Amino acid sequence: MRILLTGGSAGGKSTFAEKLAVRFGGKLWYIAAMQPYGEESEIRIARHRAMRAEKGFETIERYTDIAGLMIPERGTVLLECLCNLTANEMFDPEGAGEDTVSEILRGIEALERQSTDLIVVTNDVGSDSGGYGELTMRYVDALGEINRVVAARFDAVFEMVCGIPLPLKGELPWEC
Amino acid sequence: MILVIGARSSGKREYVKGLGYSDGDIADAVIDGRPVVMNLQDIVAADPGRAMDLLPELLRKDVVICCEVGSGVIPLERSDRDMREATGRLCVALAEKAEKVVRLVAGIPVVIKG
Repeated sequence: MRILLTGGSAGGKSTFAEKLAVRFGGKLWYIAAMQPYGEESEIRIARHRAMRAEKGFETIERYTDIAGLMIPERGTVLLECLCNLTANEMFDPEGAGEDTVSEILRGIEALERQSTDLIVVTNDVGSDSGGYGELTMRYVDALGEINRVVAARFDAVFEMVCGIPLPLKGELPWEC
Repeated sequence: MILVIGARSSGKREYVKGLGYSDGDIADAVIDGRPVVMNLQDIVAADPGRAMDLLPELLRKDVVICCEVGSGVIPLERSDRDMREATGRLCVALAEKAEKVVRLVAGIPVVIKG
């Protein structure tokens, strides 16, 4: 099953995503797209990785080129998150640049082929007044387009609000 | 405790007044003896690092009203990011304990829990 989780910052997306992945079971892969920026975030990332390891996740850090990623063993894959991945592909020198949208969609297709179940976390970055510079608006548009394409194809989509999953499309095979 | 969330000017206060509370019952961005507190996000913004300390007092309120602040482009300013994160996490904790969570959308109350 393929599930997309959206919603604003600190709405409980990660916690619910991990819960879903554990429920799907099998080998658990966590693909982390967030790049460490300085010592503080490295400490936080290390703590999160240790917390996930306790739940049985193996973490793969991958900041760009998800399409080129070989998952060593078939299982449940959790990709977090499209907002970081999009920023990396758009703004990093080794990123896809102008081809960001198509590259990320290709990457998600590759993960679909290599997983039994796939959970993708994204973010709702288009819900403010805008008025940012051109680069930022291109980023908002790119992520919006990726979200639309993925949501259309995936089996279920939830918006997370205050830790509560609001079903937007599809349903889970169990009560959550 | 009922948690009422929604965008700015989405009708949260009017909804709460419809539950039977008057303006005099509603404390704006301050936690005092009144049964309803609104603009929780502004209280959090004053000291995001200590947001979770507010939890016990907030759970004793009848109603807590908070703006949803986590959507949109992630702010460049550290303090803005901290406020969003702390408000979001506090609301997750409040929602977990709340008997009811209501989200206002264009004045329409959508019950998302309870």
